[in-house]
Amino acid sequence: MLELLWLIPALPFAGFLVLVLAGNLPRAAAAVVGCASVGLSMLVALGICIQFVNSPPPGDAFTQSIWNWFETAGLSAGVAFHLDALSMVMVMVITGVGFLIHLYSTEYMEDDPGFQRFFAYLNLFVGAMLVLVLADNLVLLLLGWEGVGLCSYLLIGFWYRDSANGRAARKAFVVTRVGDTALLLGLFLLFAELGTLHIQDLLGRASEQWEPGSGVALAAALLLLGGAVGKSAQLPLQTWLPDAMAGPTPVSALIHAATMVTAGVYLIARTNALFELAPAAMLTVAIVGAVTLLAAGFAALVQSDIKRVLAYSTISQLGYMFLALGVGAWSAALFHFMTHALFKALLFLAAGALILSLHHEQNLFRMGGLRKKLPVIFWTFLIGSISLAALPLIGSGFYSKEKILWDVWISPHGGPALWAAGMAGAAITALYTFRMVFLAFFGELRTDVSHRPRGRVAFVLIVLAVLSTIGGGVELPHTFGHVTFFSDFVGTAIETQVALPPGLDAVLWALLAMASLLVVLGTLAAWYLYVKAPGIPERLASSPAGSALHRLWFSGWGFDRVYEALIVIPFRTAARINRRDAIDFIYLATAGLTRALHVVLSETQTGRLRWYALVLTTGTLALILIAFIR
Amino acid sequence: MSAAPYWPFLVYTAMVFILVAGMVIVSSLLGTRHRQRVTGEAYESGMPPTGSARLRLSIKFFLIAILFVIFDLELVFIFAWAISIHELGWPGFWGMLVFVFILAAALVYEWRMGSLDWTERAIERRLGERREAMAKRWKEAEEA
Amino acid sequence: MTPSDLQALLPHIVVAATAVAVMLVISFYRNQTVSAVLTVAGLFAAAACLPFVWSAEADAVPPLFRVDPFGCFHIGLLLTASVAVTVFSHSYLEKYRMERGEFYILLLLSVLGALVLTVADHFISFFLGLELLSVSLYVMVAYIFTKKRAVEAGVKYLFLAAATSAFLLFGMALIYAELGTMAFPEIAAELGGGDGLRSPYLLAGTVLVVAGAGFKLSVVPFHMWTPDIYQGAPAPVTAFLATVSKACVVVVLLRFLAAFDSDAVPGLYLALTVVACASMLTGNLLALLQDNIKRILAYSSIAHFGYLLVAFVAGGPAGAMAATFYLVTYFAATLVAFGVVAYLSPSDREADTVADYRGLFWSRPGPAALLSLALFSLVGLPLTGGFMGKFFLVGAGAEARLWTLLLVLAVSSAISIYYYLRVVVAMYSSIEDTPQTRELSEPFAATPPYGNTVGAVQALLALGLLVLGLYPQPVLAMIQSVTRTF
Repeated sequence: MLELLWLIPALPFAGFLVLVLAGNLPRAAAAVVGCASVGLSMLVALGICIQFVNSPPPGDAFTQSIWNWFETAGLSAGVAFHLDALSMVMVMVITGVGFLIHLYSTEYMEDDPGFQRFFAYLNLFVGAMLVLVLADNLVLLLLGWEGVGLCSYLLIGFWYRDSANGRAARKAFVVTRVGDTALLLGLFLLFAELGTLHIQDLLGRASEQWEPGSGVALAAALLLLGGAVGKSAQLPLQTWLPDAMAGPTPVSALIHAATMVTAGVYLIARTNALFELAPAAMLTVAIVGAVTLLAAGFAALVQSDIKRVLAYSTISQLGYMFLALGVGAWSAALFHFMTHALFKALLFLAAGALILSLHHEQNLFRMGGLRKKLPVIFWTFLIGSISLAALPLIGSGFYSKEKILWDVWISPHGGPALWAAGMAGAAITALYTFRMVFLAFFGELRTDVSHRPRGRVAFVLIVLAVLSTIGGGVELPHTFGHVTFFSDFVGTAIETQVALPPGLDAVLWALLAMASLLVVLGTLAAWYLYVKAPGIPERLASSPAGSALHRLWFSGWGFDRVYEALIVIPFRTAARINRRDAIDFIYLATAGLTRALHVVLSETQTGRLRWYALVLTTGTLALILIAFIR
Repeated sequence: MSAAPYWPFLVYTAMVFILVAGMVIVSSLLGTRHRQRVTGEAYESGMPPTGSARLRLSIKFFLIAILFVIFDLELVFIFAWAISIHELGWPGFWGMLVFVFILAAALVYEWRMGSLDWTERAIERRLGERREAMAKRWKEAEEA
Repeated sequence: MTPSDLQALLPHIVVAATAVAVMLVISFYRNQTVSAVLTVAGLFAAAACLPFVWSAEADAVPPLFRVDPFGCFHIGLLLTASVAVTVFSHSYLEKYRMERGEFYILLLLSVLGALVLTVADHFISFFLGLELLSVSLYVMVAYIFTKKRAVEAGVKYLFLAAATSAFLLFGMALIYAELGTMAFPEIAAELGGGDGLRSPYLLAGTVLVVAGAGFKLSVVPFHMWTPDIYQGAPAPVTAFLATVSKACVVVVLLRFLAAFDSDAVPGLYLALTVVACASMLTGNLLALLQDNIKRILAYSSIAHFGYLLVAFVAGGPAGAMAATFYLVTYFAATLVAFGVVAYLSPSDREADTVADYRGLFWSRPGPAALLSLALFSLVGLPLTGGFMGKFFLVGAGAEARLWTLLLVLAVSSAISIYYYLRVVVAMYSSIEDTPQTRELSEPFAATPPYGNTVGAVQALLALGLLVLGLYPQPVLAMIQSVTRTF
């Protein structure tokens, strides 16, 4: 079964090729190709996963060399896949969630003229993401990384006839590119220092050659972090994600919630050995995560567009994952990644169904009272929200978030300050999540419902709802249940875990109770503010200080404006001033020189036999002369 | 690299150049130059030239001449073989047999191509056949 | 001549026998399809003999030939290319109302000449092979004698090739006069003695031999004929000129130059360096604003053999390996490119101006996609064979520390992107914006749909190009094993 590993990324790529090359397929055929390729890939992944868990391969990892491009003079390039617990988790989530979103899209996009193109892009995206997580060397990882970036560009700007979407796509591409540049520099540094890009060798050599805390390890880790920050939309490169909601909603679910943005999380988890050599970088990761989760949480509080609320919540939840990574809680980060992928996909898809039912209405303040009209969407959205808000015991989000908070508390890298940020974030999360729920589904009815979700959409929503409820069961806290299936599994790939010191049960209970209390309080506050006394938020927002804060948060802390003022405008001005500069002249002169040489040389091609013979003879004589000079 | 052993070569090269240049230069120096009305005209026995210098000869002469040259040249090889027949032995014999076979094949080709036809009627007949066959093939091709 | 000698020369014998057979068949039954099928069968039969050659006890037929694995590899390469040329020729000649069967005799004879060159280990076989190749080619270039350009090209080729043959002979004579031998191994042995090359005769003779080979390779300063003949000759013949007639000379030159150590003869290698640099730059610069695709490909072939000379200057097994791999990729790309031109050409002219190809993708996506792939490979874009070819050339050059050459290679490759992509851009630009282009591409309407043998052959070649770019390891391993002796 493990030998079929290559099929996992190959199938989506095959689907992509078929969709691109086959010309105009009927919609049903395009849908079947799109879904079946990812579905089969999921089945293969499932089979491999079962085998992997039941009888782990030697060394708890499986490497498959697919294709040796070339091998010469010590440099070898090729495609090889490396499967361990870490990538297994990623693969399962990508293919599983990916398949459900494909299925959902067949109904969601059914009237779109770009139906086939949409599925081609989705397949390409899934393929690229799988290459990213399965890559055995950093070059291949980069290939997947860039492929993912490309697909997100294509999909955000999918409805390209609206130029705003094109701008959003470009923004996403350019902003993540800043991070990609850092990543690329990091790769160069690693290759120059360690002489290999093969991930396992590289990590091994790094821990052999570099002292913990050495400067070069720090530089490498920080550069990789730069890439991760860009892709995972963390501060200060988070600005692209809210705008990326311009794409179709399944895209938001797949790319900007469940999978692509987690590439940064994956990268850091994959190179954990490197980060452990650089404690300062670890701390940076944790601080970035903490600050991001708070900042994005506040921004989510005031958004009126349901998709933007979800976008900011994604940034915030990724902040949690970064926080966990930063304190060395690798399996907690991955656990939260998994549950988040499930419930965030659910939330986005439910929101998409909602938006579709309301004539593409995305403004929360124009919704309301939809609880009765759209029961399926309501219940599934509610389940997703419970998970996101981490309401105690019910949703999977509770378990993963609790694990992060504990690990932050007990980890040697963590501490009360980071923990407090996480706790505050939990309360805010509950507040904005249920603000969204109450605004959309409670209160009085403000819109008419145009159509209801049908079979496939409802099916996908229900499946995801079930999964995001029970998904937390793979890892239960120490204090009750004590299931460590997930962290044991991930532990086969990442050895260092946050060790649980004995005799802390009382503290843990206290932490658990505090977190639960905060979440419940946040939920109740949302209920009070948006159902019981809906006047209060408006009054708050209209007070001078409140309105300033509202504006600041609404614009996502004004990052866009700052960047506009600090980077975009100076850059544009400089470009305008510098339109005809010396460097341009070099290029123009090169082109001119080349053309001039072409013209001169063309004169020699007279077509006259005599002249040709003359050139041939004198040329030969000249060569003999040259040979004699030496 | 010392030039000593190569001086004959250099002298020889110089002589070639001197000779060629000398012929051109000396004749242009010595030659009389005048330009009159009939200077450039062809001259033969004081008669003004009549008719074209281009005679139309039948291509058949040329063909036969070419065939003769080809087969004549091939005779050279057979002659060389015949002289050393004892040294070459049977392998030489078989080799020559192959060679003669190829010659025969070429002869067959020339014969079938009509290179050996001499009378106008024979040529006309063969050309007619060929034209017909060609027209038929083209018709078939176009129908297909 | 022992039986094992005959066994070693089986491919040559089969090709020669096929030529005679085609001639006899034409005498009695004239049908160009029959001739073409017979030719292809003969070429395949010759290729099928290769395993027997490989297993032959003696890998040499002294003193004239040296049938070693390296030669065998190239025989296979040349036969493959010849099959492709035959298929292209068949569909191309179908458009002409003339006697077409003789073309295949000429083709087989020139292939025979090329095959002789690949195993030549002696000046005699070198010269005989070269002349057999050239003389057949004169006629093939001018085969469509109703076209003025074709006849002009034939005559030009005849004169210039004859002139360079004289250079070659003179060079051989000088070397013979100095060393008293014409066999490559003996030349190498003589030179191994030490300061043999100090003799100016020998050095001049070597340069003259290189010049004779350089003419066939169309490197500067022997390149002048290339565009005119490429343009004038029928497209399949151009394909043959660009591939088969060059590769065999590369092989013989590699064998010949293996005797000359770059340290012992700096002058020769300086001359080769100059030739390589001049070819790369001149070829690419000349192609820059050219509007005729056949001329573009002619100039590009000048540049490509300039690149290839980098491997010659580098020398050694790495150089031979790089040259051979480059040849393979260049073969595939060039054959696809000329194949498309041949396929699209109507009977009254060649489809060779860039304007002819404007919007081709929208009317005929198949040929346009193949041609783009071939051009991308010639540019050397990654994931095509051309990239790997160039990569190994640069590798061989870097190993031998030929930084000047590599710099020129990089600069001239950059120039080359411009003119290749011009053609590609033209193919993908929309037809609507220029109404007169419709009229221009009208003749293409007469060409048959792309589902025939030509299409299959081209698709196979294109596939090979991709395989070479994506998974070169097997071919690479094979080439490495056959070039180990250098």
